Amino acid sequence: MIRFENICRDFKVGDEVVHALKDVNQHIEIGEYASIMGPSGSGKSTLLNVLGLLDTPDSGRYWLNGRDVSQLADDDLAATRQEIIGFVFQSFHLIQRMTALENVELPMVLARVAPAERRDRAHQMLSKTGLEDRMNHRPDQLSGGQRQRVAIARSIVMEPKVLLADEPTGNLDTQSGKEVLDILEGLHADGLTLILVTHDPVIGQRSHLHLRMIDGVIQAERRHQQRRPEDDSHAPV
Amino acid sequence: MISRDVISFTQRAVLFNRLRSGLTSLGIAIGVAAVVILTSMGEGLNHYMAVEFSQFGTNNIRVAPGKPETMGLGPGIMNTLRPLTIEDAEALGRLPYVVATTPNRIGRSEVEANSRIRVSNVIGTGPDMADVFQLEMAAGQFLPLDDPLSPRALAVIGATIQEELYGSSSALGDRIRIGGSRFRVVGVASPKGDLLGVNIDESVVIPAARAMELYNVNSVLDITVRFEEKAPVDEVVASMRRLMLARHGVEDFNIATQQQMMEVLGSVLDVLTIAVAALGSISLFVGGVGIFTIMTIAVRERTQEIGLLRSIGATRWQIQNLFLSESVVLAVMGGVMGLLLGGIVVAIVSVTIPTLPVRLSVPYIIAAELVSVAIGLIAGVAPATHAARLDPLEALRTE
Amino acid sequence: MRLFDRNQMAMTAVVRYPLRSSMLLVAIAIGVAAVLVLTSLGEGARLYVTSQFNSLGTHLLFVMPGKNEVGGLGGMAGSLGGSPRPFTLADVRALGRSPYIDTTTPMVMGGANINYQGLERDIGVLGTTHTMQRLFEYEMESGRFLPELDLDNASPVCVIGDTIARELFGNAEPVGKWVRMGDRRVRVVGALAQGGQSGGHDLDEAVFVPIAFAMQMYNRESVMRMMVEVTSDEAMVKAKKDVQDIIRARHFGHDDITIMDQGTILNTFNKIFLVLTSTLGGIAAISLAVAGTLIMNVMLVAVSQRTAEIGLLKALGARRSQIIGLFLTEAIMLSLLGAIVGVLVGYAAIEFLRYVYPLVDFQAPDWAVVAAVLTAVASGLLFGIMPARHAADLDPVEALAGN
Repeated sequence: MIRFENICRDFKVGDEVVHALKDVNQHIEIGEYASIMGPSGSGKSTLLNVLGLLDTPDSGRYWLNGRDVSQLADDDLAATRQEIIGFVFQSFHLIQRMTALENVELPMVLARVAPAERRDRAHQMLSKTGLEDRMNHRPDQLSGGQRQRVAIARSIVMEPKVLLADEPTGNLDTQSGKEVLDILEGLHADGLTLILVTHDPVIGQRSHLHLRMIDGVIQAERRHQQRRPEDDSHAPV
Repeated sequence: MISRDVISFTQRAVLFNRLRSGLTSLGIAIGVAAVVILTSMGEGLNHYMAVEFSQFGTNNIRVAPGKPETMGLGPGIMNTLRPLTIEDAEALGRLPYVVATTPNRIGRSEVEANSRIRVSNVIGTGPDMADVFQLEMAAGQFLPLDDPLSPRALAVIGATIQEELYGSSSALGDRIRIGGSRFRVVGVASPKGDLLGVNIDESVVIPAARAMELYNVNSVLDITVRFEEKAPVDEVVASMRRLMLARHGVEDFNIATQQQMMEVLGSVLDVLTIAVAALGSISLFVGGVGIFTIMTIAVRERTQEIGLLRSIGATRWQIQNLFLSESVVLAVMGGVMGLLLGGIVVAIVSVTIPTLPVRLSVPYIIAAELVSVAIGLIAGVAPATHAARLDPLEALRTE
Repeated sequence: MRLFDRNQMAMTAVVRYPLRSSMLLVAIAIGVAAVLVLTSLGEGARLYVTSQFNSLGTHLLFVMPGKNEVGGLGGMAGSLGGSPRPFTLADVRALGRSPYIDTTTPMVMGGANINYQGLERDIGVLGTTHTMQRLFEYEMESGRFLPELDLDNASPVCVIGDTIARELFGNAEPVGKWVRMGDRRVRVVGALAQGGQSGGHDLDEAVFVPIAFAMQMYNRESVMRMMVEVTSDEAMVKAKKDVQDIIRARHFGHDDITIMDQGTILNTFNKIFLVLTSTLGGIAAISLAVAGTLIMNVMLVAVSQRTAEIGLLKALGARRSQIIGLFLTEAIMLSLLGAIVGVLVGYAAIEFLRYVYPLVDFQAPDWAVVAAVLTAVASGLLFGIMPARHAADLDPVEALAGN
């Protein structure tokens, strides 16, 4: 489902070249619940960006959903993101001038979904995340936890295969964080592939596939045995 | 904060966002360039007229029929009770200091020569005309000194007429018909082009009395009087006026020195130039709106910076100064760019279209630059004052 | 993205930043309003001239001695007496016999001084016939206009304009008084009502005398111009030909007159005014280019302020063209709104002009309004492209981080 082969990504910072991803090989299956942890600067955000097709590797190959996406053109990347990937950000990234409902509709607006249909779908998603009574509120009228739930509703409205969450609970208090995590895990339980970057060891422990990054290199570790057989195979470190 | 620091601070602010600063200045620059280009057309026309008038020296006076009018043409230009005559011209020629007089009568007729026909300008004038207007002959001579009241039927033809009616053969001595009357060609003029609005090359020149006869009129259109270069102009004009009054009884003529004619034309062109400059300034005003907008945005973006500056001891006045000087610098840059832009366009026009007279007008350039500085100041006042009034604590806390 | 959605999103952005949007509107509105007001001046002048002409009726011919050539000296030389054969009263009388011609109104103009009991002033003299009043519908203050006389009758009578009446006679009745014009004695038979201004003559300062009288006074054989009233619109072509034929026959085969109808005169005027109007509009339109630089600047600021939003849209799968479309829509929307405001302000200003100068029918020509709006929108498009491409070129990762 997701396969990294010898992925490298370098950045120039001043005169220095930082190797954010060093020859990464990794395999993640459908329905996986993976966490990426590591100290800051270890390359975990870069890994997530490359996974989400926001960034392209300098070398190596990336198979997503059975297709080599490492050399796609800009607009094809965008199309693939739209179809397959959902994003949840630490800072929510909601558009302040739009209501919760409009924010959730946004991906469907870009995908030219008819207004009536997208209203229905946005409605459903917001109900799913427990925000039926907050649909017409603007982000600044919502609590942090509610905002992140709007963002989650937005991320799944296009029915993606993979949900990428970058520190989804990082800006939230413990209680809201727990609620958000419950929703995300619920989505995973429904079959969505969930990959999240986190600093929180508790969350790390709840994930099934634990990826630890240090200096651009992944150390994979399976914490819980999955029932599905294909989960046995995972790429060498 | 000493002024050098204000300057370097401003310089950094302007350079930090080059594109934005450049565009803001460009707005002013377009306005300044518009003013520079438009006024250079007015100035060019003015200069062209001055050269056109003074090419024959400045010691000419024109006597025309009709009462002197402050504006425009009086009814007297058409007809007066006592016509302006060749005798008037003769009498004026006998005044002290006067060296030459030419009565003029223009018309348009068919010229038939060498069995070809062409419609051409007919200039009736006196033998002094060649001198007064520095007309040179390519062949033969100009109209000879004849009895001005009954001169012989002689003609001088212009260069184009010679070429079209005779080609390369000589016209001298040939008999031609002008509007049905017969004339003998005594001279061919060298190419000269326009002479105060009449193309000499496409004209035939005949004695004034013959032209009046041809067109069956009893007056000349005007009389050009040339006086000695060092003569006192006022005295010459006064003696001309006395003489004409004595001859006509009433002041149904007007006497204008070259200087006066140029002044009248100049003042008309000045009004025109002011008008186009004012129209061009609409663009400057819009440029001012641009500076105001960008400075307002700049204050918002740098709110934190303002808070910081205030917290480390900057006074309100200093903050205001910083933003004011930034907006003035943007305007001045625009002014300089506009001057260059306008100057280049004017230079290109004057090289590529030599018939269109353009000439940079220094007073308007200075005015445009001053206006752009003023616009910078005015557009900057409100944002700068707003910046100065920000509460330091609030400002620091702003994202 | 659907068009409606794109417009909706651009609109929310416009509303979100009221100060910036309104300044941009002001800048564009000034430019558009300037175009409207300035072109309305030119157009107003054109309509004024046209209406002056049309008030004369539509079936008039203007005849001048001398063959007119475009751009040449001909017309001027003709009216100044520079044509070989005089256009005489006998010619005028011959033309009057044409079946297609109703009235002939010959004119001679000149200057003179008028004198009454020691009061003297300079005047413009207009030698003509009684038919002149019919053409221009002059109103009389007292007495009557020039009497119907034979063309050759140099009867010493005159009709004076209002200013002259007041200056020479004060409140006294001028009709019946004898004045001195040059060295001739003339009887005042009528005084015109005040405020007449027709055909380019200031009637308040004019004195009308019979044509033959004026020609004697100025010692000339040729009339300076003539107006011919044709019997009907349909007869215009025939009348024109008749005038030409009659004069050719009388002038030994020479076509030495110029005949113009109102159409040709109006066409010339229209051309002149079109150049004037478009020059004025063009100068005003320069300010729209200045507004364009402001559009670019404001859009660049908008892109930099909404960097994170652009990043989000990209993460959500927005194509490059969608981002460009979004920002271009915003730029065009701003310029279009500005243009609308400008049109409204321009029309209001023109209304004000009409209120101040009720005589002139100021109105911006439709082409100028369309051109101004199109220029504004085009500058929005042109100056919006660069910032929009800049937005589309942002790196999504960097943009999400807000850099």
